[in-house]
Amino acid sequence: MFSNILLCTHGTDGAQKAESLVFRKQESVPDMVVTVLTVLDEDWRQMTGDDWLNSSKTHTVFLDHVEEQMNEEIAEEWQRIKKHYPLATQAKFVQRTGNISEIITKTARELHCDLIVIGPWTRRKKFSIHSTGMGLRSTMKNKELHPLLPCPLLIAP
Amino acid sequence: MSKVKEQMPTLIMGAGLLVYGLIAQSGALLPIAQYLHTHKTLDLQVTMCLIVGCIALAGALVNSVRKPGHSNLDTFILQPLGGIVLILVMAMLIRWYAEPLMKIISQSLQPILGFKIYKVLNLNYVVLGILAGVVLTNTWGIPKFAAPGVKCARFVLKMGVIMLGARYSFAELAKLGVYSVFLVGFFVLGTVFLVLWLGNIFKQPKSMTGVLSAGMGVCGVSATVAVAPVVKAKSSEMAYTIGTILSFGIVCMFIFPTIGKLAGMSPVQFGAWAGTGILNSAQVAAAALAFNAVDIETLKVAEIFNITRVLFLPIIVLVLATWFGKESGHKLSFKTVVIDKFPVFIIGFLILFFLSSIGMFSPPSHYKGKYIDVSYNDRTQVTHEEWETLNNAIAAGEFSGLTPKQLEAVTDLVKQRQVAGNFEDRGNKKEFDHVGRARMTQLEGILAAAKAKQIQLSADVKSAIKHAVKQVHKKSKTVVTLTDFMIWFFAFGLIGLGMQITKKSITQAGGWPIVMGVIAGITKATLSFFVVLWLIKDVVLN
Repeated sequence: MFSNILLCTHGTDGAQKAESLVFRKQESVPDMVVTVLTVLDEDWRQMTGDDWLNSSKTHTVFLDHVEEQMNEEIAEEWQRIKKHYPLATQAKFVQRTGNISEIITKTARELHCDLIVIGPWTRRKKFSIHSTGMGLRSTMKNKELHPLLPCPLLIAP
Repeated sequence: MSKVKEQMPTLIMGAGLLVYGLIAQSGALLPIAQYLHTHKTLDLQVTMCLIVGCIALAGALVNSVRKPGHSNLDTFILQPLGGIVLILVMAMLIRWYAEPLMKIISQSLQPILGFKIYKVLNLNYVVLGILAGVVLTNTWGIPKFAAPGVKCARFVLKMGVIMLGARYSFAELAKLGVYSVFLVGFFVLGTVFLVLWLGNIFKQPKSMTGVLSAGMGVCGVSATVAVAPVVKAKSSEMAYTIGTILSFGIVCMFIFPTIGKLAGMSPVQFGAWAGTGILNSAQVAAAALAFNAVDIETLKVAEIFNITRVLFLPIIVLVLATWFGKESGHKLSFKTVVIDKFPVFIIGFLILFFLSSIGMFSPPSHYKGKYIDVSYNDRTQVTHEEWETLNNAIAAGEFSGLTPKQLEAVTDLVKQRQVAGNFEDRGNKKEFDHVGRARMTQLEGILAAAKAKQIQLSADVKSAIKHAVKQVHKKSKTVVTLTDFMIWFFAFGLIGLGMQITKKSITQAGGWPIVMGVIAGITKATLSFFVVLWLIKDVVLN
């Protein structure tokens, strides 16, 4: 039914459920085109908070460092996916920066995807002293995503 | 057409300011201003509204017809104009309406609550400004037209610190400098090593403990931003650390002034404690102004401590780079680590201090205290606590031994909260000035009589009168103007920085950084509190 899938993942437990659902389905539909999208949250630009002492050069160095780190982490995530799901080697991997809802829908429109797959909402481990994933603990709101959708949205159980 | 639409908010604000300025000029706002106790600022309100309104309208009109370019005019004036006007409007509303209303509401709620919300939470224009910025950015978000202007807040705050340089004497800077180098040196290095030690105990990665130690030890988020690339911190480590520091800093901004007042700290002691114990440098300025927004003694001390620890930043970056470089094999140049991190605005601060010290802003007679300014000015008022002391003393009949003229001077001081002429005579500058100076002479007479034990006054009453007299002794009109600008620059800068504190960045707090950060932060704040109380007793500011 669906032949061009946009799989959105940033490596969390919920997103891994979406990965599993898509690549298991691809085993039975080999012609299915899968694009793996990882969005770098634009809120990273706000993470300098109320810093006012540093020069714009130091800010630029910091933001470049953040981007470099995120790229490394995303590359590691993609490697994990390729290692875990052999069919993922045929998938197209795309990384974009911006507002998560806007980027997902914009990318789906550009690539003419007929289904967007995301992971389910999972409870955040509050006050956990252990790492809960890479980068920002990014989330998006349904009320922001749903009005922008160009195609059906599937939330992996 | 779309360009006009984009400029509509700035046009509306500009027109609104002009209309407000004209209404204020007509005198129609006098009853409201008297109710709010802001009537003495009406002249300033008219001037500021007319000037800012005209600039906003002119700039918005130019932006509506002109194609945006990359010239300095575009980058530094035309593009940020909307945001600058928005922050200025917020600052004006807060200083002239929100803060006075907060005082009135707090007073009316006191019989029910048993305390004044205004005093307990230190809700003056600085704290209200930051809160307004935080609320705006986390609810509606920063409007698109204002985004480039909000970024100016950092530059404006630096300008405020540079102007503060004109308010120090050699003696003050030398004495405060010595205290600050010892205290800040001890606590910066102490906290850095404490966090590194905690990281070792909890077996945390070097990159995480490195970035957290700088943030907790030196100057909060600024140090984190400077150190993160040097120690190759991972994204989650940076997010956790920044979230932890921002949360801790905001709590400190409210708690420190209240604790300082409860402990009876002097402005110098509080400035030293805030400058040492509060993590984020912007919040040090906010807490200092929250402790005492009437004059700038606390801010002067806090900023010296702030500047000292900022000067420690390149040293700490160098130490951490060496420490991290040894572990990872990375080699970093001296330029990358130290020269690029040096806060250049401190040179501006030192230049203003130097120019002021050689008498560039005032003739020598002003330095001997011969220049007296009894004109209306927020900064020349007594503090709210001093006003209450004098008011209660009058009600209790404590001034029974005064002459009628002396009593009239004290009564007017309570009425106007500062040494000044009659409000009705403010148009007649000569008469206004004459009456103000006469009242000051009477107040000096009261102090002399109390010293000679001809009359009995409590220490608090003498201190309040002394402060009122001191407030009108000014060094120079140029320095006074610089100070007035500086206060507005701080208000502007802190509102703008408030707009950059997002809920998302605060809620990132977590992981081991929050555990280690809270341990280090509380230890630093508590220890520095006792050390400051023990060490700093006799620094007197002019």
